Amino acid sequence: METEINSMTSRQRVLAALSREPVDRTPVCNPTSVATVELMDLVDAPFPAANREPELMARLAATGYTELGFDTIMPVFSIIQESSALGCKIQWEQKDNWPTVKMMEPIYEDVDDINIPSDLLTHQDTKCVLDAIKILKKEYGDEVAVIGKTMGPWSLGYHCFGVEPFLLMSLDDPDKTLHCLDKLKKVTIDFGVAQIDAGADALTLPDHATGDLVSGDYYRRYLRDLHIEFVDSIPIPLILHICGRTVDRMDYIAQTGMSAFHYDSKNKPQESIEITQERISLVGNINNPETLFARGPEEVRQEVYSNLDAGIQLVGPECAIPLQTAIENLVEIPKAVQDWHSERAAQN
Amino acid sequence: MPEITDVENEFIREEIEEYLEQPNEIERAINTFSQISSAMQEIAAALIDGDHHTVDQLTSTALEEGTDALEIMDDGLIAGMSIVGIKFRENFIFVPEVLACARAMKAGMAYIEPILSASGIEPVGTVVMGTVKGDLHDIGKNLCIMMLRGAGFVVHDLSVDTSEDEFIDAVEEYDADLLGMSALLTTTMPNMGKTIEAFIDADLRDDVKIMVGGAPVTQEFADDMGADGYGKDAVECVELSKRLLAEDDEEF
Ligand code: B12
Ligand SMILES: [Zn+2]
Repeated sequence: METEINSMTSRQRVLAALSREPVDRTPVCNPTSVATVELMDLVDAPFPAANREPELMARLAATGYTELGFDTIMPVFSIIQESSALGCKIQWEQKDNWPTVKMMEPIYEDVDDINIPSDLLTHQDTKCVLDAIKILKKEYGDEVAVIGKTMGPWSLGYHCFGVEPFLLMSLDDPDKTLHCLDKLKKVTIDFGVAQIDAGADALTLPDHATGDLVSGDYYRRYLRDLHIEFVDSIPIPLILHICGRTVDRMDYIAQTGMSAFHYDSKNKPQESIEITQERISLVGNINNPETLFARGPEEVRQEVYSNLDAGIQLVGPECAIPLQTAIENLVEIPKAVQDWHSERAAQN
Repeated sequence: MPEITDVENEFIREEIEEYLEQPNEIERAINTFSQISSAMQEIAAALIDGDHHTVDQLTSTALEEGTDALEIMDDGLIAGMSIVGIKFRENFIFVPEVLACARAMKAGMAYIEPILSASGIEPVGTVVMGTVKGDLHDIGKNLCIMMLRGAGFVVHDLSVDTSEDEFIDAVEEYDADLLGMSALLTTTMPNMGKTIEAFIDADLRDDVKIMVGGAPVTQEFADDMGADGYGKDAVECVELSKRLLAEDDEEF
């Protein structure tokens, strides 16, 4: 089924892999973040400014393609842009750390507190993303897939209610929780659609209902139907991101109709592909803290190979890569993918 | 040796049979629960069930009826919590369920704590816990704190994004036996080592045992930065704390 190696552009390759169509080689993709301190220095676009100013955001994001040789560009390095627009207090941090929501000071206590502000899409921190996508689309849009990011209602719930109050509510009052999710989904849809208008080719949709926090049944009860709804209301390929243990809910995830699932190294490639079958593409799952951050190119290569051997459709890190990851380890990913395909071609 | 049939409370019997797998843990649970009164078993059962209203009510009734506060804490609340910790470790329950058990524990402790502190009963040990500078992940740390409290430790929670100075000040202020640091990010993990250095520089390193944990932390990393111990989950955190305290006693 494969066409000749390197006959497609990165963009064509990614879009084909997202719909499980034939590709010339497996695309390399990180739908979360590839920002590192080394890359910030290289193009003089450091955090926290690169999370708040569109030119810097676009410049840092482009290094994923220009320096690392990935097939995608992802300008949203954090998970807090829309939460900031909703009114959450943000700790913007320094160059060496990601910004975060101060969840100890939640903005909502009850479903009636959920009020989507009218400036959701014109707030500095959402507009920054939209403008960065426009810049990237203009500059790289023909060659590379520009991927945006819109947070799912479950993750927004953590940010706005605080993780513990939100999880307790999910146990005490399932109806109220569903109601909250239903109100918050407007943020996911509106911000997603605005990024399509700005030129995004696909969107990452993080919604952290992970096995490290909640049961697989939770995913089915609270999120599966909402995720199905997103596929209908956000009309470009969606990549669901949930880090941590997820094999116990991958079957439900595969039922959503999303294009892809970005999965974590806590789940084995072979087992994951057996569960999802051809219903959804898998993206991942090179380990961040132990492999990309702490080991060398040889170990990175091994994980790339085990993903390719299992038939994973897009290869890349499992989640936002640690900011201190060495470039050497990251460029090894596309190299290893090329080599794997060359070896395969030679065998046939 | 007591058998499972010697555990009077049906709910607890079923919990042990359904969720405990390691022989030593089964034996310990049967031993504990076969020896405690049926009223205390009921408190433990309500706690395992995450039912704070019932724990509240049963604790208050038990105290009115003259049950010793320490007995309620040990045989009702702590005994219940030990089952919760194992169920979580083995993925039978998840964070929301554990949070509900923590809330139930708190409901009971709200009665017990003032009585214990008024009577001057010594806690098992005093622990200062916090997530390191730059890191806002606190779910795992909070579960450890809950299990430590559930095991009779007094814990001072410094919350998230804790600086070296804040750790040092708290250890001095509370005269803590143990310091626990949590980190979930590779970017913030080095701050554990820096905090340990700061304790050395302040000439306080020998005054406190330091333990570390969090998903990316390993035993090797803990050894490298000079921590006294590493624990991979909340159950281990409690065992480690007890071990470090015992070592401490030997040294002095
Ligand atoms: C929930 C979560 C969040 C929540 C945090 C909410 C909160 N209040 O804590 C939110 C969504 C806000 C979040 C934000 C971010 N996160 Co996050 N998050 C997670 C996730 C999914 C689960 C963590 C968790 O709570 N686990 C459950 C608890 C119970 O486990 P635990 O923390 O390990 O604790 C247990 C043990 O480790 C131990 N323990 C813990 N502390 C201690 C202390 C002592 C002394 C001892 C003995 C034991 C011990 O006992 C606990 C109980 O058993 C993990 C993925 C994963 N699978 O780990 C990513 C993860 C930790 N996050 C990650 C990232 C990248 C981020 C962000 C940077 C994302 C972004 N791009 O903005 C931000 C950064 C925020 C910041 N500055 O801190 C990465 C970190 C990569 C790395 N190692 O550097 C992870 C590993 C995902 C991944 N696969 O890459 N995150
Ligand atoms: Zn993630």
